[in-house]
Amino acid sequence: MRKRSERLAVYAALTALTVLFLFPLVWILGLSLKTRLQVFASPPLFLWWPTFENYAATLSRADFGQAFVNSLLVSAGAVSTSLIVGVPAAYALARFQFAGRNFLFFALLSMRMLPPIAVLVPMYVLFSAFGLTTTRTSVILAYTTFSLPLVVWIMRGFFEDLPRELEESAWVDGASRFQAFFHVVLPLIKPGLVAACILCLQLAWNDFLFAAVLTNNATRTLPVLMAAFSGGDTGVDWGGMTASGVLVILPVILFSFAAQRHLVAGLSSGAVKG
Amino acid sequence: MGETSQLAALGSSAKSVRIAGRRRTSWVDRHFARLAVLPTTVLMLLVFGIPLLFSAWLSLEGWSPDQNLFGGKFNGLANYDDLLTDPEFIGSLILTLQYTVVVVTAELGVGLGIALLLNIDLPWIGVFRTLLIIPMMITPVVAAFCWKLLLDPDHGVINYFLQQHIVWLGRPGTALLSVAVVNIWQNAPYVAILLLAGLRSLPTEPVEAAKIDGASRFQMFWHITLPLLRPYLMVAMLLRMIFEFRSFDNVYVLTSGGPANSTMTLSMYTYLASFVRFDLSLGAAAAWMMLLISLIMCGFFIALVRRRDAN
Repeated sequence: MRKRSERLAVYAALTALTVLFLFPLVWILGLSLKTRLQVFASPPLFLWWPTFENYAATLSRADFGQAFVNSLLVSAGAVSTSLIVGVPAAYALARFQFAGRNFLFFALLSMRMLPPIAVLVPMYVLFSAFGLTTTRTSVILAYTTFSLPLVVWIMRGFFEDLPRELEESAWVDGASRFQAFFHVVLPLIKPGLVAACILCLQLAWNDFLFAAVLTNNATRTLPVLMAAFSGGDTGVDWGGMTASGVLVILPVILFSFAAQRHLVAGLSSGAVKG
Repeated sequence: MGETSQLAALGSSAKSVRIAGRRRTSWVDRHFARLAVLPTTVLMLLVFGIPLLFSAWLSLEGWSPDQNLFGGKFNGLANYDDLLTDPEFIGSLILTLQYTVVVVTAELGVGLGIALLLNIDLPWIGVFRTLLIIPMMITPVVAAFCWKLLLDPDHGVINYFLQQHIVWLGRPGTALLSVAVVNIWQNAPYVAILLLAGLRSLPTEPVEAAKIDGASRFQMFWHITLPLLRPYLMVAMLLRMIFEFRSFDNVYVLTSGGPANSTMTLSMYTYLASFVRFDLSLGAAAAWMMLLISLIMCGFFIALVRRRDAN
């Protein structure tokens, strides 16, 4: 065991780091609980009686509600598309040898690695030609460029960790490949599905670039709305702006805590196992 | 899969025929793997393959949004020539590369420090771990926008602490510094989490042996832990380089590339060319230049992953 003084030093260092890293967020949370006068008080207020008027005002804004719904729809669409399409592919990549397996694998990896703006420029032109821009469908399709590879990478790891004998005995018992996949394998990798789902949800919820180009005022998502709030001058409604910011990041922080165990595998595109 | 499953199937063919009463290798079963990857392949071509090919074609044309899809005039490499002779693009290219190197170095340094602290087994360390990774989870646009308020020259709390009136985002030097700090703040925890996973998976014997031999703590870190951690440092470095190279969200919110192009990253340049000036052919050419540079980094990453898979 370490010496007492050393332990104290480690705790002190960690506390200092945590204060440093969390101060911006705590300050913003504080601003969101202040009245307009309190926000601009000089010197800044460090103790005050919190008000929730900024949250009430934000939640009653029509554009915030609309953007919230859009964000939910687009994230859910991207996640479900990627899971439905990607999970069988991940299974095939983990279990079977077939022509083009390696190519598919690394093509998927580069999809996640190449800069999104490089895909967005031609995507915008093509979507315009087919009348898809400013629709939520176009954003969902665009999001699959990063959520599909993520699903395949994470799920492949989960399938590989599963003993092969499970499906083999099902095949022996006369189940078809599909039956074995649906009834034997899928129920066993539910935790993997949840992890993949949450990590994709987080990426889709946080994206700004694709949504900024592919949406209009009716279909824009929360990050686009937030960027519009802060466009040019920061204005005077700091209470409202910070309250909406807190509301945007709250769900994503909760998601991430739920998937904390799988964060590492997801973040490193499978290069590091958690 | 081949042999074992075939053997197993042979051994029990009578049983399986009796139970299921079906042909053992239906068409679907024989082509199962190909059918399973078909939707992914189609979707990839749709959202990735075709757009990239189209963008290559677009970058060789003089296309404007009022023309039909293939109506542009073939220009050869004129767009690339324009880019490489545009001081703004060259400036942006150099800035992005420098920025990437500096920010990634700082993230690795800070991240490694946090990871080493979090790797010490003490009660309540899990609480710190959970709290310290919050910055990397939050929406980048919101993070940038919060920092914009903190950095506000008149009412921002940072100027209050410093008792100065610094227009952080209004001058080239401090604007670039601000963008970099926001990025480091948000992504150092990401590096820390990857390296912590690495530290946890290292064998303990070499350190124990060194301790018996009387090595100092610094010697153990420098000669044992750091070399063992190298593969994880490489993964973290390459991933961060790939992601910093495309920096956009916080640049857009904090400075939009200004003042005087001091924060004009390549993504920002491409965005402005394509979606503000609507010169999509030039944008496509800039996008392809980015792609080529990213492909090189991606190649290194794939080589790393293959080596890991081979082990």
